[in-house]
Amino acid sequence: MSAMNPGDDYLWDRSGDDPEVARLEGLLGGLAHDAPLAPLPPRRRARARTVGLAIGGGLVAAAAVALIVLARRPAPVAVEVATGGCDDRGEPGFRFAVTGDGARCGGAAARGGVLPVGAWLETAAGAEADVRIADIGDVTLLGDSRLRAVATGPAEHRLELARGRLRARVTAPPRLFVVDTPGAAAVDLGCAYELEVDDRGRTRLRVTSGVVSLEGHGRAAYVPAGIEVATVDGGPGTPIRHDAPAALRDAVERFDGGDDAALAVVVAATGVCDTVTLWNLLGRTDGDRRRLVFERLDGLAIRPEWVLEDDVLAGRPDAIEAWRRDLDTSWTVGMSPTSVQCLGPEPAAPGEAPPGNAPPPGKAPPPAPPPATPPPGEAPPPTTWAPPASPPAPAPTSTPEAAPPTTWR
Amino acid sequence: MVAELEPVAGRGHRPRVAEPPEVRDVRDASVAELVIAARGGSPVAFTSLYQRFHRAVHAVALARVAFGDAGDVVQDVFADAWQKLPSLREPAAFAGWLMTMARHRAIDVARRRRPVDAATVEASVGPTPRAEAQAALAAIRALPETYRETLIMRLVEGLSGPEIAERTGMTPDSVRVHLSRGLKLLRQRLDGEVTT
Repeated sequence: MSAMNPGDDYLWDRSGDDPEVARLEGLLGGLAHDAPLAPLPPRRRARARTVGLAIGGGLVAAAAVALIVLARRPAPVAVEVATGGCDDRGEPGFRFAVTGDGARCGGAAARGGVLPVGAWLETAAGAEADVRIADIGDVTLLGDSRLRAVATGPAEHRLELARGRLRARVTAPPRLFVVDTPGAAAVDLGCAYELEVDDRGRTRLRVTSGVVSLEGHGRAAYVPAGIEVATVDGGPGTPIRHDAPAALRDAVERFDGGDDAALAVVVAATGVCDTVTLWNLLGRTDGDRRRLVFERLDGLAIRPEWVLEDDVLAGRPDAIEAWRRDLDTSWTVGMSPTSVQCLGPEPAAPGEAPPGNAPPPGKAPPPAPPPATPPPGEAPPPTTWAPPASPPAPAPTSTPEAAPPTTWR
Repeated sequence: MVAELEPVAGRGHRPRVAEPPEVRDVRDASVAELVIAARGGSPVAFTSLYQRFHRAVHAVALARVAFGDAGDVVQDVFADAWQKLPSLREPAAFAGWLMTMARHRAIDVARRRRPVDAATVEASVGPTPRAEAQAALAAIRALPETYRETLIMRLVEGLSGPEIAERTGMTPDSVRVHLSRGLKLLRQRLDGEVTT
């Protein structure tokens, strides 16, 4: 361009040299924006509002009633329990299709149809069922599993997994899709995950993208991608990463089982990729135990200046939540707060300690963590976070609008 | 995922099951792909859009409002964008759409406050920049409007020329011209060759 002058290369892309521009950058760089995204408000759903107004038939009074009802998030549509199979009778429910042999729906053998609210879908060991969750995603019910439709409507889609395993892939506003298990509820916050209920009724949740909140018995576990959690005595235990070292995994199980002394072992075994575990522990501890967790997390992550130590130690939910929001920026891209790659295909740089227990720059080293070896008999840590059933990436399409549904992690 | 049943000779019906949705890393996504996902309600995709665009939005705000208000403008713009994104029909238009929202929001805030100058920077709520930085920022703000945003994106927010082009929807050539001419005027102003 004719407008370019000598030295403009640096101005354009930092190639070359321009001391004056570099000086201005140094001077003004401190004013750059660096704050994380504030929590997003629930998106106003035009479709729900339209439905509500239609109920009112244009009358102001009726519209007001409809809006009040919408504001209270009405109970989802419920219909009579089907007892004679799951043929599509036009009732509200979840459309499904079965692969393999040995599935029953509403008490009758089924190959596909609509699972109405209240009915059970059961798969034998050799069968799988793909269940569509309205227009927001789908669930694969694996073999030897039992699933019930609880509700479906504009405010909520809800299933119950009584036994077995499912994989869910959902793209929807937070809390629109919920799966109940014995003693807990997996509340989707926009994600893909795997949920399992074993023969003892214990729930195990493994998140592969996005975030899930596992809630029950007055507790909630915040579980982003790369993290898993199991229920203990009905409620959610402490989340840990999929590839957590055996020492950390064992210590977490002991702590969740009621061994308070195991907390010190948990804390000592955590590294820069375990900030999800530590953050969840902040809300599950108090007094000196919370201080122990706080000091470890504070040593591994840069605490925002607006999150005060005293507030966190006092257990103030707003302070703990504010810290999570700051940490979330790194969790959603699979990195530690100090930019160590915790998830994804990128290996640790040559000479760099493997993710998990490396101290961040400028921080004190952790107190002698145990060796990060997988438990005996366990597969080595995964290198990617795509769900096991994910197919290879399809060829790119010319128009993004025509692409198949994609879940972002 | 569920699809219709297709007849299979001799075996009744076999379900034709579509492939599950692809799971991809947001860092590999194009802006248009993220916009489509965020439009569908994905907070992960929207957060990624924020990470790519928040500095450009801050620059647009900082060109018009006090430093202490610019951060609030950024959050307001993204909260508004989250609500309005479903109405954006053309994903490729996202950058220009977002910058327009940012300019409107910043102008609204500026109208409710005093004109922005060095004194306003000091008087604003929030952390106060150093005096030398304030003076440099005031000099940029005194430039013609055409050059302000681009120079702030480059010198304050640390975006390169190609990144500015991507974030604003401007052509790379336009960005080059704005940067070069804007810097020339800024140098003159800082050297005292031009008085306001």
